[in-house]
Amino acid sequence: MLTKELIGLVAGATGQSKKKVEELLSTCNAIMRENLMAGKAIQLQGLGTLEVKEKKERVVVLPHTGERKVVPSKNQLVFRPVATMKDELKKL
Amino acid sequence: MAENKLSWTELRRALATRAGVSEKEANTFLNALNAQLVEALKQDKQVKINGLGMFRLQAVAPRKSVNVTTGEEITIEGYNKIAFVPEAGVKELVESIQPSAGGSQPSAVSRQETELIDPIQKLGAQAEEIVDILGELGQRPDGAETEQELPETEAVVEPVAEAVVEEPKKPKKKEAKHKEPKIEEAKAEAPKPEDPVIEAPKPEEPKIEIQKTEEPKKEEPKKEPKKEPKKKEYHFMRDTLICVVILLMLLLIGYFFLRNHISEWIDQLVAPQPTEQVVEAVEEPEAVEEVVEVVEAPQKEEYELLLTENITDGSRLAWIAKKHYGNKDLWPYLYEANKDHIDDPSKIMIGTPIRVPKLSAKQRNMSSAEFQRLKEEAYGRIKN
Repeated sequence: MLTKELIGLVAGATGQSKKKVEELLSTCNAIMRENLMAGKAIQLQGLGTLEVKEKKERVVVLPHTGERKVVPSKNQLVFRPVATMKDELKKL
Repeated sequence: MAENKLSWTELRRALATRAGVSEKEANTFLNALNAQLVEALKQDKQVKINGLGMFRLQAVAPRKSVNVTTGEEITIEGYNKIAFVPEAGVKELVESIQPSAGGSQPSAVSRQETELIDPIQKLGAQAEEIVDILGELGQRPDGAETEQELPETEAVVEPVAEAVVEEPKKPKKKEAKHKEPKIEEAKAEAPKPEDPVIEAPKPEEPKIEIQKTEEPKKEEPKKEPKKEPKKKEYHFMRDTLICVVILLMLLLIGYFFLRNHISEWIDQLVAPQPTEQVVEAVEEPEAVEEVVEVVEAPQKEEYELLLTENITDGSRLAWIAKKHYGNKDLWPYLYEANKDHIDDPSKIMIGTPIRVPKLSAKQRNMSSAEFQRLKEEAYGRIKN
């Protein structure tokens, strides 16, 4: 499902206009991004947590040359669903 | 404000102020958003949110496992798990966190601007992001490739290791067996002292096996530290180890089996018990029956019969000769006395009775014309 469809659904549920919902959604995303950049996790009630995690550096071996390389550590955005949501979606 | 978490309320408040709506409105929106997201996930299995990323339901197939305590096989049922893939631009932003907070600037600017300008700013930011992504695409491939191909390395390494374990072993066993008939021939020409040679190749085998089995073991531990502590790899290592262990067990079983036989043969050589035969016994069923009826072979020379022996597994004429005459090179006499029911002296069926004639001192002289004749005849009958 694409963003537009989701916006349509939300608009239908709240009675707000699609344009308004779209605005709200983009603002919401902007806020979330800012906070993520500031190193904060974002708690989404009933959904889960979005947070930035560091992936540690690691060594890989190139199969052709047998050469070893260090992949530097980097940050990753991860989503941890809340247990209730997890369970709800486990069986469909 | 909590230190490291943006709570629901905080999010709601920030949204309200930023978007210029009441907190209540913001709340209904967020709640609806979450509810619809879950519904959409159920329906479509994947939901894309521009400016954030994609939520996706990933099906995990049912798999078999073993109950650790009971050793019982159980099936872990399949289920769905929620995966989140951040949008490329967001990913880029997050990755750039450590050097500086520069990535957040576009949105920081938008905070101070009015709502109308916000989307335009966003477009600019997105354009920047796209440029970044394109740049990233140029660099990415190496990293991505190495990760994906890692499992393959092991796949390549593993078969080789196994092959090493198996290959050298089998040919050697065969060699050892093939050699036996040849050794016999060689002995017929050379005098006694060679006897230990027969036994020599066999006891060696275990040693060879042990060396072989140790090599792969040594290799394994070396590999492990090299590889990364990734879960997939552990599975792979475990599988490899299991294969190696199974191979080791097979080798051991083969070794014990062979050892028993070797000791049997040694017993036969030492103890004067009736038995003998050639390793690769080829069928000649009629011959056996005939023997029972034939009372005495229609030979020119009449041999006084010492006794009759039955060929057993692993035995041969030369060994019987060694046992009764004390000289394995005298086996052509045995063949002469039994050639009515033996076609090829190197291939005698298990259970074939062998008459062992008494030899006079004259006959024991290996340089006699009679012996030479018998020998030539006997060798002439060996088929390869």
